[in-house]
Amino acid sequence: MSLEPATWLLLLAWGILVGVDLVSVPQAMLARPIVVGTVAGAILGDVEAGLRVGVLLELFALDVLPVGASWYPDYGPATVGAVAYASVLPAWEQSLGVACAIGLTVGLLGGASLQWVRHRVVRDLNMRTNDLAAGRSAAIRGLQYRSIGRDAVRSAGLTLIALGLAEAAARWLALDPGTSHTLTLVAIGCGLAAVIGGALRSAGRGARMRWFVAGAAGTALLLGIA
Amino acid sequence: MNRRLAALRRLYAIQGAWNYERMLGVGMGYAAEPLLEELARSNPSRHPEAVARSAEFFNSHPYLAGLALGASVRSEYDGTPGAHISRLRTALCSPLGALGDQLFWAGAVPASVAATVAVVTLGAGPLAVAAFVLLFNAFRAWVAWWALRTGLDSGTSVGAAIRQSWLPRAAHLAGVAAGLAIGVAVPLAAVWYLAPFSRGGAAGALALAAGGVIAARLAGPMYAAPRFALSALAAALIFRLAIR
Repeated sequence: MSLEPATWLLLLAWGILVGVDLVSVPQAMLARPIVVGTVAGAILGDVEAGLRVGVLLELFALDVLPVGASWYPDYGPATVGAVAYASVLPAWEQSLGVACAIGLTVGLLGGASLQWVRHRVVRDLNMRTNDLAAGRSAAIRGLQYRSIGRDAVRSAGLTLIALGLAEAAARWLALDPGTSHTLTLVAIGCGLAAVIGGALRSAGRGARMRWFVAGAAGTALLLGIA
Repeated sequence: MNRRLAALRRLYAIQGAWNYERMLGVGMGYAAEPLLEELARSNPSRHPEAVARSAEFFNSHPYLAGLALGASVRSEYDGTPGAHISRLRTALCSPLGALGDQLFWAGAVPASVAATVAVVTLGAGPLAVAAFVLLFNAFRAWVAWWALRTGLDSGTSVGAAIRQSWLPRAAHLAGVAAGLAIGVAVPLAAVWYLAPFSRGGAAGALALAAGGVIAARLAGPMYAAPRFALSALAAALIFRLAIR
């Protein structure tokens, strides 16, 4: 996997943007894997690979309910690396399994790195308690800008790790077609398990569950007829 | 109006300094700054304590935080005692968190994302993704503006304004829409991915999906989809290498 410097820089910038978007600013859903994957695919000149990887990781992301202080993976920069790997191989059927593994690994690492940022913010906050109590706006602005800066550094680090893993896998992981297809099928199965499991968990037993079952059964019926 | 727009812009960064001690507190203080500028001139002795109060602990859904921001700023200008304003902020945490989580995290977000997945699998391509980003953000911007305006107009009676608004009903409908959209997206995604493979391969993937769902039901909160997938991928790789 040999990327042009301009492509590499664009991927890094996109990874930083989506990493910061997840929590800090602007929370505009840019960090959704389907969005990250599509744009990363466009940067790499392989939108199909971006969509295939993005939708698969989106199935995992749909399992996430980021309420309150819950722990959740950060799939944004992770998807950049996953798409970079997938764009190297000629067919998504061969690359999706390994790409998914890269995405999930970096996604979990991203979740852990969010905790690191949050603890650093607390440390920064504790050093400025007096300024905050005195109502100094500059202290609030400083905390805000430094925290977003830390998140940008975190996102850059994650994107570099994701791209590094993609590079390493493309260079050294020589899988035969049978193994690649098996890994892709496993990744698809697990993605479907994630989205269905998440939907059942959040649906409860009320109207939402009824509409979920109706949607799934109706679509399956139509697909069967087609 | 310019101060409202500045506050609205800053509300997009309300989680910029999210932390376990004040949660959204620092972001609220950051967003409140332009709105409190006038107070520095009209009531200079109150301004520092109002700024300090604005950055105290606060937690809610970030997209609805404008309701609490507007209400607390309006209360500062109305001369409401500081302790009352702090209590108002605390009282708004749970309802705004619950409503926002229902409306967005468990409703509008999964509904719109799943609808996008469904449309992409039907061949819409990147245009569907662009439409998702544009439409979602248009809705989100409107909600943020409505929330800030309602908070500023209502002050301490913001609770009643929320109860009488479209929010509770929309939160319920968004959940139903999410259920339907995910239900439609799952079979479409399965066919989109599995069509090129043999029947045996596709059946294996679907069996694994069923196994994962059962594992999730049995393990409860111990289950984590990414870890399950990584374990399954590692096991498949080891198996393939072993039989080679």
